[in-house]
Formats: sequence, C-alpha cells, structure tokens
Amino acid sequence: MSSNLPPDAFETPDDAMLSAWLDGELDPIAHANVAAWLRRNPHEAARVRQWRHDRDDLHAHFAPVVDEPVPPALLATLQRAPAQQPLWRRAAMVAGLLITGAAAGGLAGVSWVSQHPDNVAALPSALRGASPVQPTSWTHRAAVAHAVYVPEVKHPVEVSVTQGTEAEQRAQEEHLARWLTKRLDMPVRLFDLHSQGFELVGGRLLPDAAGPSAQLMYQDSAGQRVTLYLRKPEPGATAAFRFQREGELGMFYWMEDGFGYALVGKLPREQLLAVAQAVYGQSGMSPAPAKTP
Amino acid sequence: MQAPDTFRQALLIAIPRLRRYARSLVFDVAGADDLVQTTLERALLHWHQFDHQRELLVWLMSIAHNAFLDQRRRDSRLSIVEPSEVEAEQDAQRMDPGADVGLRLDLMAALERLSPEQREPLLLVTVEQFSYAECAQALGIPIGTVMSRISRARVALREHLDGQSRPAGSARLRRVI
Repeated sequence: MSSNLPPDAFETPDDAMLSAWLDGELDPIAHANVAAWLRRNPHEAARVRQWRHDRDDLHAHFAPVVDEPVPPALLATLQRAPAQQPLWRRAAMVAGLLITGAAAGGLAGVSWVSQHPDNVAALPSALRGASPVQPTSWTHRAAVAHAVYVPEVKHPVEVSVTQGTEAEQRAQEEHLARWLTKRLDMPVRLFDLHSQGFELVGGRLLPDAAGPSAQLMYQDSAGQRVTLYLRKPEPGATAAFRFQREGELGMFYWMEDGFGYALVGKLPREQLLAVAQAVYGQSGMSPAPAKTP
Repeated sequence: MQAPDTFRQALLIAIPRLRRYARSLVFDVAGADDLVQTTLERALLHWHQFDHQRELLVWLMSIAHNAFLDQRRRDSRLSIVEPSEVEAEQDAQRMDPGADVGLRLDLMAALERLSPEQREPLLLVTVEQFSYAECAQALGIPIGTVMSRISRARVALREHLDGQSRPAGSARLRRVI
C-alpha cells in the first residue's frame, strides 16, 4: 500500500501517533502509513521497538500479581456492609448474623450462637465449678467486636503502637495504657505475648452494657490476629475459665482480679489456650508495658 | 440497600486485576491492598450507580484512580518519610529474589519517577491492556489526552532508563500535563 504513496503523502508522525500505532489504536490506513514511514526511518523505528520492549517488560513485571492468593482481609470486605455505614449499623449487622446462625456461617464465617456445653473447658482447675459467665452478654459483644475489627486493613485499632521508632512505640504503648486505664477506671495493662509469637497492634475503646470496655489487638508474623476484650465484670460475677468454639473461631473467657477477659481468635484451641495462659499468667502482676526491654 | 450477591461475586472475580493495577500504582503490597480495599468499599457503597452496559473493570479502575488521587492528596499533606526508611525499602526491593535484578529494578525506579498523570494511562494500556477509549473512561479524560500522556510517559520512561533524566531529588519538579 505504501508504495502507492509518495514519501510526503502524510506528515511526519509525532510521538503520540507512533505510540498509538504501537498500541494498535490507529485506523487501518493511518496504521499502514506509519508502518511505511517507520520502514523509511530506521532510527525512529528503533525508538518504537524500545517502547515495545518497555511495554512487554511492564506487563511481564506485574503479570504474576493476578496469580497471587487474594488476602483474606479483602475477601472479608466483600462479605460485610460498606465501611461508610455508621459503626453501630455494622455492629448491628454482625450481631444480626450471629443471632441468625445459618446466615452467619455462609457470609462471615463467624457464628456465635450459644454456648455448646460439650465445648466448655475449665481452666485452671481451681476455677472449675464456678458458675459460668452468661455467654450471651459481654462475651457476645467481645465476639462481635472481634468480627468487626479484625478484618480491618486500615483502621484495625484506634490507638496504634506500631508506628515509628522503638522509643515512639514505647510512648504510644504508655499512652494507650494510660488512656484505657483512665476511661475504664481500672488499671489496664498491655500484655506481652511475644512468647506466643504475637505482637501488640494497638487498642480501642468500645461501648459495653454498663460503660466502656477495651479491645487490644495482637498479630503474629503471618498476619493472624487475636483480640483481647477487657471489661469490668458485673457485681457478684464469679470467675470461670471457659472455652467456646464456633466454626474456625475460638474464645476463652474468664474473670479475674476485677476484670472480665475474653480472648478471641481463629486459632487451634491449644494455641489459643497457650495465649490465654500467657495473659492469665501476667494478669496478677502490676501494670507493665507490652514489650520486655 | 445492600449490594446483591451477583455484584459481590463480580467484584470477587475482579480483585486480582484490581490488585495488579494497585500494585503498579502504589508499589508496596500493603499500600496497594489498602487501595483495593478502599475501591471495593466504595464500589459496594455505590453499586447502584454501576451501569450494566459498562465494563465493570473500567468502572472499578475509575474508582481506584479516584481513591489513589485522594490518597495522594492526603499523603502530600501528611507524609514525612525518614530517609532511612526509604533506603531500607529500596534495599528490600533490591534483595527481592523474584525480580529480574538488572532491568526490572531500573524499570520500576523509572516507572516510579513518572508523574501519576503519565503513569496511570501508561499502566492501564500496557499492563491492563485497556483500549485508549476504556482508559479515557476510567481516568475521566479525553482520548486525545490519553494518547499524548502515554507517548510522553514512554519518552520519559526511556529517558530515565537511559540515564538521561535529572536525579531523583528533582522528580517533583516534573511538568504536569
């Protein structure tokens, strides 16, 4: 086709035209004209060949991303209500799922229905036989809080302790402990779970029936998260160490030393128990920062 | 009203490509996935605005594009990056065994130096293999602008790869088309 055209039949193509030619965006006549022009201008043709290499390299560089497994946090985003909804509505939605257990299994993978008596384990044995905590009250709220915040990529906690230098992190931890202590009106300590492979991410204040409660979030190197829910127990509540499991999620809860504790996580029971024991072992001590020096 | 399951299913299928586009814009995995999460959340919130005659992926990329710009606006107000952090990050990238060491790291460094205005259409067309028309839709700019930005991006990328560009420190003085 080009041989039928005199050399100056169309203007010298500019870079935009050459680039569009490379991307196959020109109509057939313009495409053929540019091809012919490139044959007559080997220096320009070499530039366009380099652009093609760059294009292929860019494509090859990012191509493997589509084969990576999709992170669970992104899947969870699709399974819950939009984030822009008021928080109470999201919580209510999760709570609704919990109550209608059947729907919960399919959607959120979490369904706290009621206590399964054969799943209850007492520990330590000294506490065995104490009357159980009502599982539908605050432990339920602990489970809901876990389900709401654990999938969060951007704002898993209200006060983060993972930013900046080690000294800054220490300051953030002290701030978090002071703040929660003040708001809960009880000495809140940040437990050190490094021995279990968990690092403190941070914490947040939550509403409970009678006042504020707190949630501390920990994460291991694989990104697995557990939460520890802390609250003032009701007057006259007795200590019990109990376990509940539903689906992949487990919870140990107990009361001790004027605190109600609920540890929630998607861990094998033995591992969750070990974490619970680490918390329990530290709960008798005076308030201490999460990190050992 | 909640987005229907069919819509969620379509989003699920789109996630890998959204992640790829986000990765090519933001580079680090966590930041890119934050962008994908924001995109999915906005898509779920505005699902009723999606016109079924359109390509879902183009619509999602336009959401990702806007989220990316929002994030950059926020970051330009807030970000204070320690030089040591930048170095550590670059070291980590250099040690990435999955990368073809010589060429692609240069390519990534060159890509990172392009302005977002150039980078986005170039990536949509080369990596996502969008047509210019789809690219124009996703970015909300005319096709002619897509065409000129892509060609300028190619020229600039080559300059960086051939070592003809200014040092990284002056990158923010680049012309914005």
